[in-house]
Amino acid sequence: MKERIAAILVSLAAAGAAVYAISWWLAQDPSRQLGQRVPYMDDPDGRKAIAAQQDVTKIGSIFEQINPAPTRTSSSWPRFKGASYDNISAGSVTLSFDWKEGEAPIAWSLDLGEGHAAAAVHMGRVFIMDYDEEKKADMLRCFNLYDGKEIWRRGYNLSIKRNHGMSRTIPAITDRYVVTIGPKCHVMCVDTDTGDFRWGIDMVAEYGTKVPGWYAGQCPLIDDGLAILAPGGSNTLVMAVDCEIGKVVWSTPNPGGWQMSHASIMPMTVAGTRMYVYTAVGGAVGIAAEGESRGKILWKTTEWAPSVIAPSPVILDDGKILFTAGYAAGSMMIKIVTSGSGFDVEPLYTKNPKEGLCSEQQSPLYYKKCLFSVMPKDAGPLRKQFVCYDADGELVWASGKEHRFGLGPYIVADDKILILDDDGVLTVIKASTRGYEQLAQVRILEGHDSWGPLALVNGMLLARDSKRMVCLDLTRRDE
Amino acid sequence: MSEANTKKPSRRDFNRGLMRGAGLLAIVGVTAGMGRRMRKDNTVWQLDPDKCVQCGRCATECVLNPSAVKCVHAYDICGYCDLCAGYHQPSAKVTDTAAENQLCPTAAIKRTYIEDPYYEYAIEESLCVGCGKCVKGCGAFGNGSLFLQVRHDRCVNCNDCSIARACPANAFRRVSAEQPYILKGQSGEARA
Repeated sequence: MKERIAAILVSLAAAGAAVYAISWWLAQDPSRQLGQRVPYMDDPDGRKAIAAQQDVTKIGSIFEQINPAPTRTSSSWPRFKGASYDNISAGSVTLSFDWKEGEAPIAWSLDLGEGHAAAAVHMGRVFIMDYDEEKKADMLRCFNLYDGKEIWRRGYNLSIKRNHGMSRTIPAITDRYVVTIGPKCHVMCVDTDTGDFRWGIDMVAEYGTKVPGWYAGQCPLIDDGLAILAPGGSNTLVMAVDCEIGKVVWSTPNPGGWQMSHASIMPMTVAGTRMYVYTAVGGAVGIAAEGESRGKILWKTTEWAPSVIAPSPVILDDGKILFTAGYAAGSMMIKIVTSGSGFDVEPLYTKNPKEGLCSEQQSPLYYKKCLFSVMPKDAGPLRKQFVCYDADGELVWASGKEHRFGLGPYIVADDKILILDDDGVLTVIKASTRGYEQLAQVRILEGHDSWGPLALVNGMLLARDSKRMVCLDLTRRDE
Repeated sequence: MSEANTKKPSRRDFNRGLMRGAGLLAIVGVTAGMGRRMRKDNTVWQLDPDKCVQCGRCATECVLNPSAVKCVHAYDICGYCDLCAGYHQPSAKVTDTAAENQLCPTAAIKRTYIEDPYYEYAIEESLCVGCGKCVKGCGAFGNGSLFLQVRHDRCVNCNDCSIARACPANAFRRVSAEQPYILKGQSGEARA
């Protein structure tokens, strides 16, 4: 009997313990230590929105005449990527690279505000969008190409803080107009000769543009007297503004809510139709550039939609376009084909940075039917090498691990490629599809982040690092 | 010359000398061994950030779970960017704190708005598993201010570090216990 009672008690105790254990286990909330990860946890008080409420910027309100204007000269590098939008100098000047050991042929140099904004040149004048930290002002500065003396400057007060530099765009210039885009998306148009203010647009205030990370990198385009801009605003993706009066002539709606990227608008012609190609954050688009349909979308794709895009579309032959971007995005080649009365996008190939040509910051060159670029840091063994790929995406040659570069610019001139690395060393190689052949190398800048695109006019090469610009006379021969 | 000075040593003297020599050798050997042991005890394992390839093995090979390897941050070389390649997914469309936009699998990086356009990033060590995903992103596109280090408040300093054995880049080495970290940045300061 005792044994039976003991067995019952033990069983009851075991059952009680089991019930307690299960109850305890069920009472434990395994997610009690988990927290939500939701937007705006980094700014619960909305301080960023409050800070964004700034005074209205009076675009063009500051002007200083500094030196008399020089005589006009021909030849120009009138915009980002030069006259032909391809970073290829069409000049016939024979360039000399027979420099004395370590001595660059520097004609003049000057200090700039911190940034990567680079020069455009027209009629013997150098135009650069600069930020004056002392006066807290975006300033379009105009210099004499041949002696570096400042002629005038026009700008407006704006408070910005350095964010990997401050200024990073290149003006567009014609005989009559200079159009600029500032770091916070202020557009300014002035007279090329006198610097007289014509008109201004605050794309953030007027079009709902979101200033891209590290400030605007888009360089404006002037086409047939119209400034072609991509605000990527709440209602307007791209628009054309009459340079004479500042009035919007046409605009392209933005139903997809695509945003402004760092890329610039590139013109191209497919089957006799001129169009503007733009890679926004959200997708790529081709917009009619002429005729009654100006401003209408001819084609678009969302298959190319990285969150950060710095390089501009590279226009190849036969309707092909290369898109590329850093931050692991890689590249994509498409072909624009006619389809009935319109156009279609035909994807040709997509490559990740380890598979094919890619660029993080600069727009690749298309020369001799090949593409040239410095590979980004996530490109595996080819990282930071200068490479040549064919249009089908096959590697032709690479500079080798002994010759690595950075995020700096490169252009073609006199059948050579000039490459500037991060630290201001200029390397000259043969513009060859056969292999990497270095011709010369010299340090031209002492600073760092020499990322501003190059401009070359009449043998005068303009380059910059984060704080200083130099002008090299590449026609000079050292004895 | 006296007879005593020219006397040949006896077998007993010889054995006594032999014993003395052996004893001396033993003392020297033991002392040297202890010295070596002491030197070894004064070094610890550390990860060289310049060699690290962010393979992810620090998170999985450590005898501790979670790993003693943690991400640390050199604030003086951080860009304080809005879009941080160490914090955001490469495909993130929006640079906010939503889970789908964050790179860290355990939410170990805290982001705080400072002033336009700056954000500060801080590592919450208790959540960090040492996977190095943020380090890879920061190194590929940023200034490389995020990097991995063995944290010696938890490392058990195994004689044969299992992560060092598995490290494909030979990034682990013994360093002085008095300077147990290999830090980046001009000031050499980093905080977890």
